[in-house]
Amino acid sequence: MENKCAKRREAQGRPAWAECMDRMPKEIVCRKSGGMEDIMRKSKKALAVLMAATMTVGLGACGSKENGENPTPTPANAGNQGDNTEKKDVTLTVWGPSEDQNAEQGNWLPTMCEKFNEEHPEWNITFKYGVCPEGDAGALVSQDPTASADVYMFANDQIMTLINANAITKIGGDTAEYVKSSNSEAIVNSVSVDGNIYGVPFTTNTWFMYYNKSIFSEEDIKNLDTMVSKGKVAFPLSNSWYFASFYVANGCTLFEDGFNEAAGIDFGGDKGVAVTNYLIDLVANPNFINDADGAGMAGLRDGSIGAIFSGSWDYNSVKEALGDNFGAVELPSITINGEAKQMKSFAGSKAIAVNPNCKDPQVAVALARYLGSPEAQQTHYTSRSVVPCNTELLKQDSVKNDALVIAQNNTFDNTSIIQPFVSAMGVYWDAAVNMANGIINGDVTHDNAAEMTDSMNAAMNNNGL
Amino acid sequence: MKKQTTSYKAKKRTVNIFVHVLLAVLAVIWIFPIAWVVMISFRAEKGSYTSSFLPKSFTFDNYKKLFTDTTILNFPKMFMNTLIIAIFVCIISTIFVLAVSYCMSRLRFKMRKKYMNIAMILGLFPGFMSMIAVYYILKAIGLSEGSMVRVALIMVYSAGSGLGFYIAKGFFDTIPKALDEAAFLDGATKFQVFTKVTIPLSKPIIVYTVLTSFLGPWLDFIFAKVICRANADYYTVAIGLWRMLEKEYIDNWYTCFAAGAVCISIPIAILFIYMQRYYVEGLTGAVKG
Repeated sequence: MENKCAKRREAQGRPAWAECMDRMPKEIVCRKSGGMEDIMRKSKKALAVLMAATMTVGLGACGSKENGENPTPTPANAGNQGDNTEKKDVTLTVWGPSEDQNAEQGNWLPTMCEKFNEEHPEWNITFKYGVCPEGDAGALVSQDPTASADVYMFANDQIMTLINANAITKIGGDTAEYVKSSNSEAIVNSVSVDGNIYGVPFTTNTWFMYYNKSIFSEEDIKNLDTMVSKGKVAFPLSNSWYFASFYVANGCTLFEDGFNEAAGIDFGGDKGVAVTNYLIDLVANPNFINDADGAGMAGLRDGSIGAIFSGSWDYNSVKEALGDNFGAVELPSITINGEAKQMKSFAGSKAIAVNPNCKDPQVAVALARYLGSPEAQQTHYTSRSVVPCNTELLKQDSVKNDALVIAQNNTFDNTSIIQPFVSAMGVYWDAAVNMANGIINGDVTHDNAAEMTDSMNAAMNNNGL
Repeated sequence: MKKQTTSYKAKKRTVNIFVHVLLAVLAVIWIFPIAWVVMISFRAEKGSYTSSFLPKSFTFDNYKKLFTDTTILNFPKMFMNTLIIAIFVCIISTIFVLAVSYCMSRLRFKMRKKYMNIAMILGLFPGFMSMIAVYYILKAIGLSEGSMVRVALIMVYSAGSGLGFYIAKGFFDTIPKALDEAAFLDGATKFQVFTKVTIPLSKPIIVYTVLTSFLGPWLDFIFAKVICRANADYYTVAIGLWRMLEKEYIDNWYTCFAAGAVCISIPIAILFIYMQRYYVEGLTGAVKG
């Protein structure tokens, strides 16, 4: 009731409190209204002061920021650098995954950075560390390249994002030569765009097959169809990173060799339909399990599943689950229309990048090279089993006899394609998941395989216009 | 006559049985996910997937690991970060919300109606729309690095909370204005009326405001992610829990993830249990006078 009255009074343009005031003794009203005015005046003043303060703070902050951030190399500075009598103070921010900054796993990143500092007496480097997994670099660094790490680790599929955000610098000179001379061509290509090298690679990144030696023999693992006839196999079909391997096996291509954006994705036609039909049969096989939500690893643990497809990140878990029966190997082939076709995984690399907004690019590039050097890769391998990619290092006995290294490198060399990182690749992922789900839940049948394959192909080449 | 009563009884009984069965089913549906998470948090089998629906054996190790294995994902630290942020946010936003609500409910000024409309419209926009802008503003005033990240997060969660005054304002509107007027006549200032009359009469809504503002930092992921970036020392639990489900960690950390989810409900539950009694008190007593 009272609210209603108040509302009506307000509607008449006379606020409720005014009426209350009318009813109050004059004296109080005067004091009151005087008080109100006073408050208003005060608040106005306060507001002005506040605004002035924020503006000065804002300006001050901007000013100091600019001073701090762009120390244009003045001649005086350059002179200092030349005479070498004085140590140059440098602050570098380095980002890497938390495992590399973990004392229990060798503390690889800080150890290497300190070593680098010792090896360069001309610089007195203070390191600041941040946590950024290689796969997140694209999002995290490009969010604000000017306030990101000077040197960071990234997965090569992020390269276009980083280039577009001006968050990664081309590497030239000695370091580029080092990258070219110490890595296989495929790895060099994985960090190159238009002939420029953008990072110092330190490992390969792909997936392969783990299997239980008590279930599958050395002969069995060469063909997936033989495997599913003998034991259970889990494959993450509904994950588009894995899905393409079947299509690529039968001659389907992504951007020709992965670098020609204009060529588009070619998953259609008879070769694509043949794979779709193959997958429909494969999914219908009771020994085939779509590995979602960790079903594969759980099956490997309790022995019900004989093989899973995963990468080096699951090495320790698989090793623990299988013990002496542990096996890791490159991808098997599949039989399509009576012919054996080799499955091919997406492969990439992880590399060290330098931020173009960095104050001391010379030091940053030297550090990037150091973190990608054979010694650093060796330490990375011993502390965390990060498979090295330096060709010299891979020839050493201690490295080349490791089952994990063999599996990963054989996969990289023989049964993989470089995962395309052209921008048009962005539409591939969802289209692939849709198709995979259609196959798994039975929407895609032998009757409509051709039609569905073509619509998948169209979706993969849909640039959104 | 007798027949009629029995049939009425029977009818009532069947209706009751039906209602109770329905309620039981709904309760199970509602409670089950929570019970399942609690069960997973005590599961001894590793991995993110098990072939059996219920855990085969139970252990306390997931909790132990969560609080002792701090080298990769430092959960205790994240927990403390979030707790600190939540406490400050809770205090600041409660003050904001109550003050704004009081002004909107009791004071009459020119912009009042317009302001309320503006606030309503602003409230319709999703908060993360301004996320990147907020990040750059915080960076410009130097709050995006180091320990200032906590301050930045406190600001982000509490600064805009004044906009959410609608519920508290509605509650204040129900407190009779006669009480205020009586206080004014006794010479009270507006502030005294607010602190001595309105606040003591509004315990339920204060509890509600405190709880919702305390919850914010525990649940928010997107702002924490954008503002913390690589500052792992200042991660909140939401980022930590998300990390645990990434492909590198999920196999080892899945059960710990469930344990973490259970743990974050503890401070919230404690706060609620502590404040619950004020829910009951509410308006009883004071209005009679």
